[in-house]
Amino acid sequence: MTIASKPAATQVLNLVSAVNQALDQALAKDSRVMLLGEDVGRNGGVFRATEGLWAKYGERRVVDTPLAEIGIMGSAIGLAVSGMRPVAEIQFDGFLPSVFDQVVCHLGRIRSRSRGRLSVPLVLRAPHGGLIHAPEHHSESPEAYFCHTPGIKVVIPSTPYDAKGLLLAAIEDPDPVVFFEPKLLYRSAKGEVPTGYYTLEIGKARVVKEGRDLTLLTWGAMTVTCERAAERLEREDGASIEIIDLRTLTPLDIDAVLGSVEKTGRCVIAHEAPNTGSWAAELSALIGERALLKLLAPVARVGGWDIRMPLFRLEPYYIPDADRIVLAARKTLNF
Amino acid sequence: MPLKTVASCDVKRLEILSADGRLDKKLMPKVSNALLLTMYRLMFQIRKFDERAVLLQRSGRLGTYPMITGQEATQCVPPLCLQPSDWVVPTYRGGGVYFARGMSMRYALLYWAGDDRGTRFPEGNNDMIFSIPVGTHLTQVAGLAWGQAFKGQGGVALTYCGDGTSSKGDLHEALTFAGQFKLPAIYIIENNGWAISVPRSRQAASPTLAQKAWGYGVAGIQVDGNDALAVYAATASAVARARKGGGPTLIECETYRMGHHTTADDATRYRNEKDVETWRRKDPLARMRTFLTARALWDAAKEAALAEQTRTWIDVEVKAYEEHPAPNPLNMFADNYATAPRALIEQRAELEELLKFKGGARILTELPAAEGRFP
Repeated sequence: MTIASKPAATQVLNLVSAVNQALDQALAKDSRVMLLGEDVGRNGGVFRATEGLWAKYGERRVVDTPLAEIGIMGSAIGLAVSGMRPVAEIQFDGFLPSVFDQVVCHLGRIRSRSRGRLSVPLVLRAPHGGLIHAPEHHSESPEAYFCHTPGIKVVIPSTPYDAKGLLLAAIEDPDPVVFFEPKLLYRSAKGEVPTGYYTLEIGKARVVKEGRDLTLLTWGAMTVTCERAAERLEREDGASIEIIDLRTLTPLDIDAVLGSVEKTGRCVIAHEAPNTGSWAAELSALIGERALLKLLAPVARVGGWDIRMPLFRLEPYYIPDADRIVLAARKTLNF
Repeated sequence: MPLKTVASCDVKRLEILSADGRLDKKLMPKVSNALLLTMYRLMFQIRKFDERAVLLQRSGRLGTYPMITGQEATQCVPPLCLQPSDWVVPTYRGGGVYFARGMSMRYALLYWAGDDRGTRFPEGNNDMIFSIPVGTHLTQVAGLAWGQAFKGQGGVALTYCGDGTSSKGDLHEALTFAGQFKLPAIYIIENNGWAISVPRSRQAASPTLAQKAWGYGVAGIQVDGNDALAVYAATASAVARARKGGGPTLIECETYRMGHHTTADDATRYRNEKDVETWRRKDPLARMRTFLTARALWDAAKEAALAEQTRTWIDVEVKAYEEHPAPNPLNMFADNYATAPRALIEQRAELEELLKFKGGARILTELPAAEGRFP
């Protein structure tokens, strides 16, 4: 017997609208949810991620804070411990370092230090990555600093569908979640998104496309660049490329990573941050530790150079483009 | 025991030249006519420059740009109290400060066009690049002032932050150090009313920002930041005290951000045009012009000549900026270390390989020469 079910209603949204809808539905569903950050209220966020929510839910739940990132982070921790479900926004990735004291020394440790009696169910949202011609300190990829910190989860969607479902899951999550939003994709990524409330499991990678010869392992806006590189490699080199979008960096979907790499035997990891000490370095180490005998070539990393992010005239030469991924993939395929 | 008052703070506000150009003669600082004219010229020129920069951005010839219109007095005047050897650290909204320090404005345009070669300050000046994560420079300025104290030559360090930044812990720690070590530092809070969309009233709950100084044993004063004479008097007195070992000063300059936060912002979403109009009547240039005219130092002919000279100057700067050759991508590897480590030598070679892949073998000779020190 089949149960007839109405197809779920969907609409086409871009990524920032999907984030907005998730926040809206979370505020509507749970009175403990509140938003705080700089310009998130009346102005609706500098990327308009919180557009309309201040008018709808009022200034007690959608709070324009003073300009003080440590204040935002620390008070969000306190709010979460006291039973609220704060969603804190740090306006740009480059402004995150000031909250590290709170993140490294407290955010992921309160559950453990209180032997499980206290928890910090907050979400720290921040735009991520470059290529929007932004000023200095507005195009950073600081995910590795957070992944390195125990006790927190790090999520980075690359589609509107994932953004909404993962953000709602992050808000429901009993532990702190750092939620990066690739700003290049805010308006350029569009897709079908269910209109209702839904969550996607944190800690599960997405197979963007299946392939046999080489795995492109990636996250964030680089997922789109990998799709372009894969098209070229399939067209020009006749190679069959698999793309895995991690979606969650910690906890890592190691089964998805190993499953793909063991199948293809070749892996290129593409991301925006400098390679040294990066999340790509951790992935490469894990693959080396657990799948060495299945590898047909060394794991390659394509990332930013080990220098600071240049001003935007040179960012296309800093953040890997499809050319760099194609070059690395060819070397790996021809090893 | 009865409660005793053990400390109190008495916050003064300095106004010398009113919005309609009337002067409080008793408070008038000693300023030569030439310096008065310099103040006006700098403010006039930077406003015109600001207007042109916005036009360039709007026509796709410049990246995101932070306007300074309305804040000319607060920006252009304090540098006039300093020597080139004094340290100055403006905010990113600091075009007027750098201009008053003698910066060639073609480089300011280059910076806001996303080109790292734009951070070029006049040789011999102790000017530092602003910090984009706001306020992070404030403790560094305590260090710069501390260094001046070590040198013992009466040097000072002067810096700026906004009303929004005054909420950050950085200012607390900076003033703690400045007060504790009695450093020759001048902290100007450029209170322009807005931190992007968040008004001054939503920062500290205290009625003034100047009064923060009392918490750290630092001298504090509030100044009409659109009154060039008051800004000058307050800064000159703070600098003189600092040079003599009298310690730091916090100056709150109350001014107004007439434009959007940057060209990427739309202030009409969050503020009332009537408030902007109120501040338009307190314009720093207009009152200075009225004052200079009343003193017979200025007239319509001089104004027209200055406008013409300014147009020419801006044309020259814009042309020089736009004729700057595109940067060689290899530039980014220069000047990261005094001597580049092996990893960077390898990675630069990898970028060369990428450039050849993109543009063929000739590309490296066709690109403009790489600049900067490498390895």
